[in-house]
Amino acid sequence: MIRPAALVGLAICGWLLAVLILGSGYELRLMALAAASALMAIGYQLVFGQAGALSLAQGACFAIGAYGASILSRLGWPLWAELPATVLVPAVLAGLAHAPVRRLDGHFFALATLGFAVLVRLVAVDAQGLTGGANGLVGVPAFGRGPGAMLVGWGVVGLAAALALWLKRGGNGPALALVRGDADLARASGLDPARIRARGFVLAAGFAGAGGALQAHVLGLVSPDVADFQVMVGCLAMVVIGGRGSVAGAVLGALLIGHLPEWLRPLGASYRIAYGLGLFACLLVAPAGLIGALERIWPSRRTIGAPTPSPAAPARRTLRIEGLEKSYGGIAVLRGVTLEIRPGEIVGLIGPNGSGKTTLVNLISGLDRPDRGTIRLGDRPLERLSPDRIALAGVARSFQSPAPPVGMTPLDLVTAALAAKVGCVGFGAAAALDPLHRQAEGLLRRSPSSDIARALALDPAILLLDEPAAGLDADERDRLASLLRALADEGRGLLVVEHDMAFLMRLADRVAVLLDGRIARVGTAAEVRADPVVRAAYLGPAAC
Amino acid sequence: MPAELTTLAQLLLNGLALGAAYALVALGFVLILNATGAINFAQGDMVMLGGYAAVALARVLPISGLVLLPLVMLAMAGFGLLFSLLAWRPFRHRPPIFGLLATVALGLTLQEAMNAVEGAAPQAGPTLLGTGEIRFGPLGLSRASLGILIAGLVLGLAQAWLLGRTQFGRRLRASAQDSVTARALGIPVDRLIAASFMLAAALAGAVGLLLSGPYFVTPTTGNDLILRAYIAVTIGGWGSLKGAVVGALLIALFESVVAGYASSVVATAALYGAVLLLLVVRPAGLFPALLGRRA
Repeated sequence: MIRPAALVGLAICGWLLAVLILGSGYELRLMALAAASALMAIGYQLVFGQAGALSLAQGACFAIGAYGASILSRLGWPLWAELPATVLVPAVLAGLAHAPVRRLDGHFFALATLGFAVLVRLVAVDAQGLTGGANGLVGVPAFGRGPGAMLVGWGVVGLAAALALWLKRGGNGPALALVRGDADLARASGLDPARIRARGFVLAAGFAGAGGALQAHVLGLVSPDVADFQVMVGCLAMVVIGGRGSVAGAVLGALLIGHLPEWLRPLGASYRIAYGLGLFACLLVAPAGLIGALERIWPSRRTIGAPTPSPAAPARRTLRIEGLEKSYGGIAVLRGVTLEIRPGEIVGLIGPNGSGKTTLVNLISGLDRPDRGTIRLGDRPLERLSPDRIALAGVARSFQSPAPPVGMTPLDLVTAALAAKVGCVGFGAAAALDPLHRQAEGLLRRSPSSDIARALALDPAILLLDEPAAGLDADERDRLASLLRALADEGRGLLVVEHDMAFLMRLADRVAVLLDGRIARVGTAAEVRADPVVRAAYLGPAAC
Repeated sequence: MPAELTTLAQLLLNGLALGAAYALVALGFVLILNATGAINFAQGDMVMLGGYAAVALARVLPISGLVLLPLVMLAMAGFGLLFSLLAWRPFRHRPPIFGLLATVALGLTLQEAMNAVEGAAPQAGPTLLGTGEIRFGPLGLSRASLGILIAGLVLGLAQAWLLGRTQFGRRLRASAQDSVTARALGIPVDRLIAASFMLAAALAGAVGLLLSGPYFVTPTTGNDLILRAYIAVTIGGWGSLKGAVVGALLIALFESVVAGYASSVVATAALYGAVLLLLVVRPAGLFPALLGRRA
């Protein structure tokens, strides 16, 4: 079945053809300029739409491309040397600017990119010798007034669109959805949001550079207007109106925004009011953009083949935790936890509220760093690794929160983790989607919750489960218990944090009791239940 | 006092007044941020609107800015309510990026609307304490700057009192920290959020009036201010009121001093360089908000 995005792509081609045959010189030129914006927008939907990072430097990279093309062509560089340079220069500059702040999230990333944009604008306006200052640079070789410029421009757009679609094919799609949906969950699933964001940012810069170069050659000049923040806002509007994560949407958005002043000409200079209101109205009624709205009217259904079983022979390794300490703001939560989880055994972890159970799981899975102590899987130290490395090394965890991020199905969630496991994520290398989907379907049928299925997708040697029985009814608990036993029998080591004592007592091979930041007792369920210290902590001293 | 020291002291004094204005913008930004978790990119445009409101009021009521200030703040509070209905209510159940984009769209609309109504030429608004300069020994301070300083201090302290010492403030902080629990306790969270928007807009209106006298107002006045506020809040520590004020003062002092010795271009470049450096050294800002995630 043909998808709405493909249909929009066809419609765009029809529109281009009509302008090419029937359009006036002015309309051809407008189309050539729209192609420049489309290149910028295609790049932007990679970093903003796919990787989910609000970059505010895309307009600046467009400006770098425009100035780069103007400066190099005035120096006499031939087109074949100049165009690759206009892609590479902004990409390299973006990479350099991003390197020191690559760990920054959300608004910090936005601010850092904004700083980059302001610096680019300063150079454009004030570096007279290089950029011509407020006058800009004229005499850039133009592509001519005929259909030539439009053909060249849209030819490049076609190539760029194909490249962008290739970059996010297969397992990349769900993996990127997880990165933008929930960064912590992505890390715990073996994905590195910082690296993916960095790649998206650098790639986007390259696309924008090509767009800027095209614009300079169509206009035959470059002025500091190109570095205005309005260019960035326009790019944002194109992607939001078209559809955040869609290549066809980005191109459609660029075409619409590019033609808006023309269509609203009767309004005169105040057409920009309509532009702001239109953007707002789009956010209000079509939050997923025009493509998203089409997909809602006309959903594309994917058929999934028969589910395939997941691998059931993980590497057998022991997890050794020694002397783990952690305090928050001077309050010691863990004061030297030592614990061992061996292959094929289920260790239950109990303790009163606030005893540090979740903190321990967070430290092992790398979401938080221990102050002191070691965590080893086999001989491999884990305590300094990032969460994604730990997940890929063979220690997976589940979360208390049960639902996948907004907009993701359970199937997407599990597929994302499977894609991370095969190492094909974050633009470029990709695993085919169908086998991943079938495997994910198998895991989902096996697990009582999508998050446990996601953790299992990583085929872990050690599985950490944070209150897996919470919210399950009696039947589901039985199913969970037999799943956990089966996982242990496959040779995995399990650490189960649980409040439901009855559930844990019949399941766990050993039970560890966390009291005041230390393991107070480890033993069989019966031993722990009979222990006077444990009884005192749970039932009060009078019970002894 | 040696001449170099006098120059430095003068630059710092000028920066302080500008910093007070930045701080009020940043405080309004943080108010909305804490109440809703949303970034209000139109905070600067609200300042611009307040500036034009002051200009318009001064045309019909040629009286002191001191009298106009409460009027402008009241009118802007009303605008804040309207703004919350447009920019927050429809988007409250969606990911925060939508609220942010909505404020970008509305800010753009405001700018272009003012451009259509008033044109792009700078307009002068009323002054708070008249014009001219007051001397403190070797140092001079314009009456306009003094007005900004005093008004900034009074409004800043009033806000600290309102948030820290009143039942309204306690409820506001409670609903900012955990809106679900606050709602369960019977706190009218939605009304408090609307009140935050009104308060933030009133602060923006005050800044608009304060700056419209000495610095004039144009439809794009807000762009620079929102950037400064955004930086102030980020380097101060996302969501910290104290951090926002400290951040705003640091930015203004830095700009004033560097621009005084070099040029405003160098000042801007150095500011962003310094911010990037600060983010590398202290990724969560100067006063990091204590945010944790219970998995």
